[in-house]
Amino acid sequence: MSERLERPDPIYTQPYDPTLAEKLYNPQKPMENRITDIGPPHYWQFLPPVIQRNYGKWKSHEILQPGVLKYTSETGEVVYVVRCGTPRLETTDYVREICEIADKYCDGYVRWTTRNNVEFHVTDEEKLRALIEDLKSRKFPGGSYKFPIGGTGASVTNIVHTQGWIHCHTPAIDASGVVKAIMDELFEYFGSHKLPAQVRIALACCLNMCGAVHCSDIAVVGIHRKPPMVEDDRLEKVCEIPLVIAACPVGAIKPATVEIGGEKRKTVRVNAERCMFCGNCYTMCPAMPIADGQGDGLAVVVGGKVSNRISPPKFSKVVIPYIPNEPPRWPTAVKWIKKILEVYSQHAKKYERVGDWIERIGWEKFFELTDIPFTWHLIDDYRLAYDTYRTSIHFKFTKHVKPMTEYNY
Amino acid sequence: MAELKKHDTPMLNELRGGPWPSFVDDIYNYSEKHQKQAGFDVLGQMELSYKHKETHWKHGGIVGVFGYGGGVIGRYSDQQDKFPAIWAFHTIRVNQPAAKWYHSSALRKLCDLWDHRGSGIVNLHGSTGDVILLGTVTEQLEYIFYDLTHQLKMDLGGSGSNLRTPECCMGMSRCEWACIDTQDITYELTMHFQDELHRPAFPYKFKIKVSGCPNDCVAAIARSDFSIIGTWADDIKIDQEAVRAYVGGELKPNAGAHSDRDWGPFDIQKEVIDLCPTKCMYWDEGQKKLYINNKECNRCMHCINVMPEALRPGDDRGATILMGAKAPILEGAQLSTVIVPFIRLEPPYDNLKNLIYKVWDYWMENGKNRERLGELIQRVGLNRFIVDVLGLEPLPQHVREPRSNPYIFWKEEEVEGGWTRDLAEFRKRHPA
Amino acid sequence: MDKETLKQKILEVIQKKAASGGKSKIYLKDLQREIPDANPRDIKNAANELVKEGKLEYFSTGSTVMYGLPGVGMGLEAGVEKPEE
Repeated sequence: MSERLERPDPIYTQPYDPTLAEKLYNPQKPMENRITDIGPPHYWQFLPPVIQRNYGKWKSHEILQPGVLKYTSETGEVVYVVRCGTPRLETTDYVREICEIADKYCDGYVRWTTRNNVEFHVTDEEKLRALIEDLKSRKFPGGSYKFPIGGTGASVTNIVHTQGWIHCHTPAIDASGVVKAIMDELFEYFGSHKLPAQVRIALACCLNMCGAVHCSDIAVVGIHRKPPMVEDDRLEKVCEIPLVIAACPVGAIKPATVEIGGEKRKTVRVNAERCMFCGNCYTMCPAMPIADGQGDGLAVVVGGKVSNRISPPKFSKVVIPYIPNEPPRWPTAVKWIKKILEVYSQHAKKYERVGDWIERIGWEKFFELTDIPFTWHLIDDYRLAYDTYRTSIHFKFTKHVKPMTEYNY
Repeated sequence: MAELKKHDTPMLNELRGGPWPSFVDDIYNYSEKHQKQAGFDVLGQMELSYKHKETHWKHGGIVGVFGYGGGVIGRYSDQQDKFPAIWAFHTIRVNQPAAKWYHSSALRKLCDLWDHRGSGIVNLHGSTGDVILLGTVTEQLEYIFYDLTHQLKMDLGGSGSNLRTPECCMGMSRCEWACIDTQDITYELTMHFQDELHRPAFPYKFKIKVSGCPNDCVAAIARSDFSIIGTWADDIKIDQEAVRAYVGGELKPNAGAHSDRDWGPFDIQKEVIDLCPTKCMYWDEGQKKLYINNKECNRCMHCINVMPEALRPGDDRGATILMGAKAPILEGAQLSTVIVPFIRLEPPYDNLKNLIYKVWDYWMENGKNRERLGELIQRVGLNRFIVDVLGLEPLPQHVREPRSNPYIFWKEEEVEGGWTRDLAEFRKRHPA
Repeated sequence: MDKETLKQKILEVIQKKAASGGKSKIYLKDLQREIPDANPRDIKNAANELVKEGKLEYFSTGSTVMYGLPGVGMGLEAGVEKPEE
């Protein structure tokens, strides 16, 4: 059993010393004073005392209002939780403000959820009310809420997402900006319980999917549609060709030689038909840029889920193959996402997740209800594509079917 | 201090309005208050990306601090003249405490460190679960690491072909459904595998995630090569009094998750019994009693989710181990597949560790470069992976359905007489 | 194979690769292929020790890690021009 502290390590109350590391680290002797492999701080010290006392003894919970939960223990103790959405991309001042709130109401304890929400814990109702009022009152100068309350029950909870243009080198879209635009539009669904079931939205800024969005009710995936360019005159100088070739997961890159100004230069060629647009070559070689303002954009996938509830976990399916990048607010993408959400909300039964609803009514019906155009891109031609073909006559006659009377070949 | 250079960001400014918390407002105000050129420069470069609809970052070869092969992601601006303060903008992954509980004292000190040595911009949290410190220059990396280990007792998380930082749901800290101690398991595995977490060991990334119940709040089944999901093997515990309270409308179904819409009065038949995927439940209207045929239950959690006051997971608790989930690249997305239907987990979890080592040994030896475990399992066959590699018994629980083709690769030793046959004898029976 | 011999072998493999093909960095899998009689875990441990001794350095390819000789080939800092031979 791992050793654990009952209270936060006293080291955290000692002020940060900005000069210590310079005294300890010696570039000439890099192993001097080096502490390694200590792992994360033990979680126990960060659990509020009420959580420690009732660890493993929780009996039930209740959502008092959207974003506010009450947990009851077998010991009779209760804890109230207020859940707030965060932008995930934030500054230390934002984190400090969270600390200030935690100090004021929660003895300094605070928790984040897997989906980028922050949670405050209190044990009495009076504090709960004050906390809620306080959180509601905090706004950024531009008018946005700092700590919107919600994300519980049959809501759209916070979007899990990747880095996008703030930090990544292979994204096809931004992440935080698209998320902000979507959540602004779906805001009322974050702080309410009016959907048939929870709707998990996710965003990955390229198909490498650091965010693993492939099992979400609705997800946005950035896609490149142009293979990388090759800068023949520079490549040899800034890239190691064998490494670039090895970096391509589909073996689409071959070595080549070109003549520039009478001089032979080593370079590479990309088999465009094989390229999957992952950007691994650009990772290894800055002379193979993949980003393209014109070609890049996003796809929308829907109907996936992770929970085992009622039906097994399932993958999301592509329903819109491409929407161009429209910064700063991506209106087309936002419009379609809202449309999908509201059509789902209108037609699904209680407890039915997006994917379960679509499976019940059939995908043809989904396309009819949402008015999303069905195009050839949506018929799978990658691996195991056959699994998605319709091999029965169980289908519905939607507007897509036109009686065929003659062949005009 | 040099004059601060602020850039015009008309497009990003559009993201300051609207109700959802604005990262633009946050970063702008922070940079103003702390006089940070890096903050203004990163917004400036982002504005340029909004204009060009293209990223302006490049990757670098930096992986970590001295002796570590992970934990740092190297980033460089391709606009170094315009935005010199972010010429390098590396990410530090800091291993989060299990289930992401903190005390303000620790967070504040981390903030102080990051103001001093970085951009002041963070992610809480990264997709894998780490605290992400976003944006610093190369020369600060070692100092940041010394500060983390000496002053914060924190360490870096995983990246590259290392074990990635294990992650879990809130587990027993707050959830009544946690069938396993997800936080303790995560902590114990993280500590035990420090070497694999910090130094490259594998053909590609390896993720471990721990969920306390089949609701799977950390998405272990979709995101981790090794998914540990809590479950129970005995009967769902029923409080009939509470069931009647739900039926009578005194308790709100699904803990109040549907409170903002009029779905009509709670109907146990329609909302629970009929939605049960195995149809193993029966509501006796006369007796006002709920019956569950637990032998038929597949533990989907729906009835428990709907009536949390009345129903609870059984007491014979453990986990199901599934393996092989991954995002689509390259062979397509995979969900984890059941390998061990039920494992009992007690500290120090040696059974779990041994199983992980066994999987790693095989993958290290047989996995191709950049081949995730799930792809390797597909390549060698789930049957061979289970039986020959792990030495486990093949079970119907391993598949959704048996194969539909009879193209079975029989092993020679399974076939009577083996494959070496006497041709002369054959020809005696069948003249050519 | 004892650890020192293995470390020596690893260095030889990497030096040879760098000298012949211009490939200054290699994956663990490449090392395994070149040293088939050693256990993959031992190779990994030996290579990681060489990094600690400053004889090898890691290189990130984004989602994986390679091993190279310090100062040889493409540098850790992007945009650094490869030195002319």
